[in-house]
Amino acid sequence: MREGSPTDGELLARVARGDSRAFEDLYRRYARPILGLALRRLGDRGRAEEAVQETFLSIWRAARSYVPERGQPAAWLYAIARNAIADRGRARQEPPTDPPDGPDPEAGPEERAEQAWLAFRVHRALEALPAKERELIELAYWGGLSQSEIAERVGIPLGTVKTRTRSALSRLADILEEER
Amino acid sequence: MRRDPPDVRELVGEEGSPQELDRLRRVHDLLVAAGPPPRLSPALVRPPRVGRLALLARPRRRSLAALALAAALAAGAFAVGYAVAPRGGFRAAWVVPMHGLGRHAQAHAVLKIGRADAHGNIPIEMEVQGLPPLPASAYYELYLAKKGKPSASCGTFRTGPGTTLVRLSIAYQLQPWGRRWDGWIVTVNRPGRPPAFELVVLTT
Repeated sequence: MREGSPTDGELLARVARGDSRAFEDLYRRYARPILGLALRRLGDRGRAEEAVQETFLSIWRAARSYVPERGQPAAWLYAIARNAIADRGRARQEPPTDPPDGPDPEAGPEERAEQAWLAFRVHRALEALPAKERELIELAYWGGLSQSEIAERVGIPLGTVKTRTRSALSRLADILEEER
Repeated sequence: MRRDPPDVRELVGEEGSPQELDRLRRVHDLLVAAGPPPRLSPALVRPPRVGRLALLARPRRRSLAALALAAALAAGAFAVGYAVAPRGGFRAAWVVPMHGLGRHAQAHAVLKIGRADAHGNIPIEMEVQGLPPLPASAYYELYLAKKGKPSASCGTFRTGPGTTLVRLSIAYQLQPWGRRWDGWIVTVNRPGRPPAFELVVLTT
């Protein structure tokens, strides 16, 4: 978590009191992880986006029911998202296609659920990085660029790319360890 | 362009304690396992505005008319949502969450307002939770409201246990929003009791 920024729990408490600014902050942190989860489960971008909207409506309505003693905010938000996505899945009229859940079609339901939770946590942690660090991680891992290519693309010295990337990985480790 | 995951040694180097390097490698493995996060489409980049008066932009499948309507709604600070229902289901132009009042504080509803047909009939679908079933002859009533007061009836309904899905239709001109109406409320009407509009149970 970035220093000085409110925790997810603090944001949820403010959302429960009807604070729309806190709701927006929460949205910025969780929109991509929830969209990722919805895409895994539904396999259709339009429906996944609808599920994201419905998830956030549910969060707005249900924030008062979050009890910090019962678990991490991320787990609570994940459960809300999963329910909204399941509702969206049930609402479909046409027969389901192949299960779109998870990158590995051979995985069983438990394994797929685990992969989905892992991706959700990692994507959530990425959102907590400063934008400059997040960009480097995304280019390195999913942009297919080497460190020197990133330096050229972003227009910063190679040494800065290396330092920043390592710092980002360290920060991600902090965030993910904090959650456990 | 490289397709496989990056070489962790290139990313973290060799400096640092073995524990620290292990820690960074674990994160590397998690990133590889998680895969890329999706990009947000323009429709999702901005967070939905919620609250008592909010507009939830959902521009997918929208027409020019819908755009104009959305702009008018934004200008009028109209309530809440724009959403599209599943294929073959109810297609909502806006979604308005409602919350309970008083002893019905736990109740809530989602009001989905469709587009007007060629004759000006506007379908409404409402999912209600937490409003108790009423005795025979009593009923709930959905109203368009102005400044918290019921103004135009949109139909009556009763509830069962769990979630009740109610379908209604209205033929009012909702635009420009805010002039004649600025919200929605649900009242309970019990024959022989005080006027319904004094018993508001749900509001936007």
